Amino acid sequence: MDQDLKNLGMSEEELFSFHDHSDLESEKITAPRYSYWQSVFRVFFRKKLNIVILGVLVILIAFAYIYPMVTEYDRFGQVLNPNARHKSPMEAVEMFGLNIHWILGTGGAGQSTFDAIWTGAQISISLAFICAAINMTVGVVVGAIWGFSKKVDIFMMEVYNIIGNVPYILFISVMVMLFTASFWTMVLALTITGWLGIAYFIRTQVVIIRDREYNLASRCLGTSTIKIAMKNILPFMTSVIVTLLATEIPSYISYEVFLAYIGMGLTDMSLGRLIFEAESAMVTPGWQFEFWSPVAIASIITVVLYVIGQNLGDASDPRTHM
Amino acid sequence: MGKYLIKRLLHGAVSIIVVVALVMVMIYSLMERDRIFASDSMYTKVASNQRTVYCFTKWEEYGYLDLVTYAEYLAGLALNGEIDEETRSAASAIARTPEQDSKVVREYTEKFTQYYESQGYTVERLNAKTNGRKLVNGGQQQLFAHKDHPLAYRMWKYFTGLISIDNIHRVQEDIGERGLTFTLHDPVYGGDKFAPAIIGNGTVHKYLFYVDDTFPYLHQNFATINLGTSYSVNRGIDVFTTMTASQGPYVLSPVTFPTGLHEDSADDLHTATYQAGSREMNPVNADRFTDDYTNVLTEKGSMSKVGFSFVIGIIATTLAYMLALPLGILMARKKDKLIDKLGTIYIVFIIAVPSLAYIFLFKAIGGKMGLPTSFDLESGSKLMFVLPIISLALPSIANLMKWLRRYMIDQMNSDYVKFARSGGLSEGEIFSKHILKNAAIPIVHGIPAAILSALTGAIITERVYVVPGAGNLLTEAINKYDNGVIVGVTLFYAVLSVVSIILGDILMATVDPRISFSTKDR
Repeated sequence: MDQDLKNLGMSEEELFSFHDHSDLESEKITAPRYSYWQSVFRVFFRKKLNIVILGVLVILIAFAYIYPMVTEYDRFGQVLNPNARHKSPMEAVEMFGLNIHWILGTGGAGQSTFDAIWTGAQISISLAFICAAINMTVGVVVGAIWGFSKKVDIFMMEVYNIIGNVPYILFISVMVMLFTASFWTMVLALTITGWLGIAYFIRTQVVIIRDREYNLASRCLGTSTIKIAMKNILPFMTSVIVTLLATEIPSYISYEVFLAYIGMGLTDMSLGRLIFEAESAMVTPGWQFEFWSPVAIASIITVVLYVIGQNLGDASDPRTHM
Repeated sequence: MGKYLIKRLLHGAVSIIVVVALVMVMIYSLMERDRIFASDSMYTKVASNQRTVYCFTKWEEYGYLDLVTYAEYLAGLALNGEIDEETRSAASAIARTPEQDSKVVREYTEKFTQYYESQGYTVERLNAKTNGRKLVNGGQQQLFAHKDHPLAYRMWKYFTGLISIDNIHRVQEDIGERGLTFTLHDPVYGGDKFAPAIIGNGTVHKYLFYVDDTFPYLHQNFATINLGTSYSVNRGIDVFTTMTASQGPYVLSPVTFPTGLHEDSADDLHTATYQAGSREMNPVNADRFTDDYTNVLTEKGSMSKVGFSFVIGIIATTLAYMLALPLGILMARKKDKLIDKLGTIYIVFIIAVPSLAYIFLFKAIGGKMGLPTSFDLESGSKLMFVLPIISLALPSIANLMKWLRRYMIDQMNSDYVKFARSGGLSEGEIFSKHILKNAAIPIVHGIPAAILSALTGAIITERVYVVPGAGNLLTEAINKYDNGVIVGVTLFYAVLSVVSIILGDILMATVDPRISFSTKDR
């Protein structure tokens, strides 16, 4: 024992000195520093798969937003050249030389399929993010109020039961039919009733957490409702909201593709519109690339967004931070 | 339970009305009414003033407004005896421009204008469009008054007209002695065979009750459902009829018409409705019929739109439940094992990938395997059902698997399972007797909805495979701006979803004795 202490290189006085008692100091709790968001990302990046998928997403978004900017995409640039239409990648590369534009062949107007899908992806991703931002903001705010106030609950339940009785797709289709299908009309159509489902979901979650014991205790201690909402309930909801976001964003891309397919889509060349216009190319031998490329890109974008969202949702649950 | 149900049904009815009213407000007040002519070939044929009048007549027919032409006004006056026939014909000859009108014409046009403007109508006089001295095509002068129906009036008309009860005073024309006859020997079958029927005169339908050999064997026409008249999808035909009438190639069978004419025909004489003056206009009708009940539906070889959607939907739903239940259970039992991971990949694929993309994928794969990829009513092959059914079943399998796995895993950690395990039950017994029973309750809740949504059809699937079903009807109506059909289909969807939610609750309460709807038991 003595030997061990000597090895520490400190004299006995240094090791065993009296220390003044301080009330303030004894109140302090020593624990490792915990930052919520740091832990979220630590858990998220612990999985190697997430890093790979995040990389894919970054590449996709960079391509969708930067590529159309640096290359001038002219849809009708080769419309007068009948030889350029519906070329398979091999033929196109042979015809125009090896260039990134031609690696997916050409479409019905001789346009580069590769350029078209990135321009389309940009529109579709923008639409999905804008709609998700609007719907999530309105939905979470309304849902929180809906969950807290019993008066609002009675009224909103009626609204929800009425609107919820009709397929969402019917409302969107009628909305798009009424107005000309510009980008912002589509946003309007997708958000006008889209927030309601999210709000209902949030409401249910709020109702579940609202009456838990720790919140009752908090209320008894005189915490204001806003503080309870912000400090007690919102942290609980973060993972739910992120998981919800993961299903919402891809769903807007799917809706846009669907609407375009039934002929109610955007006038801009979004991914849905590309699929709609190239539908006949699906069964024509040698033309498949112009159909399957936008389908594949739309699928990759939605899957990547979904998986990242789900895993981020898992990571933002504090119970996984241990 | 009974009281609760009535409350739910009333609630549902209110929400249906609100939804249909919402859609009607959107369509009739926000959409430009010119759009209904988007796919009307008649509209492109008529020109100039005639086109304007054509538009107004159609708008009147489809309930937008009330239209009174000058000729109708004069005819009304003549009928009331206010003017004689001579004045009527003199007054009706309006000139190319108001300045050229004769004195009589001027007097009556002024009366017409004054009368209808005081009633809130807009009076429009279109001067003749001429090219030199000659009239341009359709350029005749026109005079008429019109007034928009308020939306509330339209809605009232729509909802009160949903179910129409036939009676012997429905036909306005002179039709002879009105009344109902009951016969035990239906004249359609030659009058010898025993077949009870009720035949009306003065009613809209000739046969108010009859028996035949198609499901449901006993048919009635006393009460008919009117969901709204179609404009461009199926001209002049009610949405309900459009959805339920048979399609495809005509089925010819020997028919004896009332005049005694024998012919191979697809006409179904039991569906005869009244059409004024049809025998005079069409000699074919005069050959066949002894009265003006000449408007018959035809028998066709294939199922109706609802029939196709229902058959495909029912098979797909049954298949989905049969496959998804064992797969979901397997995934929950082998949690975090390979089978669970594969299942999760499949679920992620179905949820995340746009449904259109994987339906096309199935279509391409099926096409490679030699399955028919589009519907052809003439061929009658059963193989064409395969791909739509698969495309409908696979996503619902994923959905069911996802929820069943979730519910079962949630149940696995509950106390009663630990208790059962400590009591020495085998894992298989615990899963099949304890966990599944509890986890299946929310799944059971969705069964009626799944079956009823099969009726409405899957919009994308039916369009991709060109299935002549009900799901396709909505998109077709939207593409063609057919307002009547959109409103009718909305009502149909709304009724089905309300009914399915209520049925789901009832079924859940039957399966799970802990759930009760009556307030007393709580």
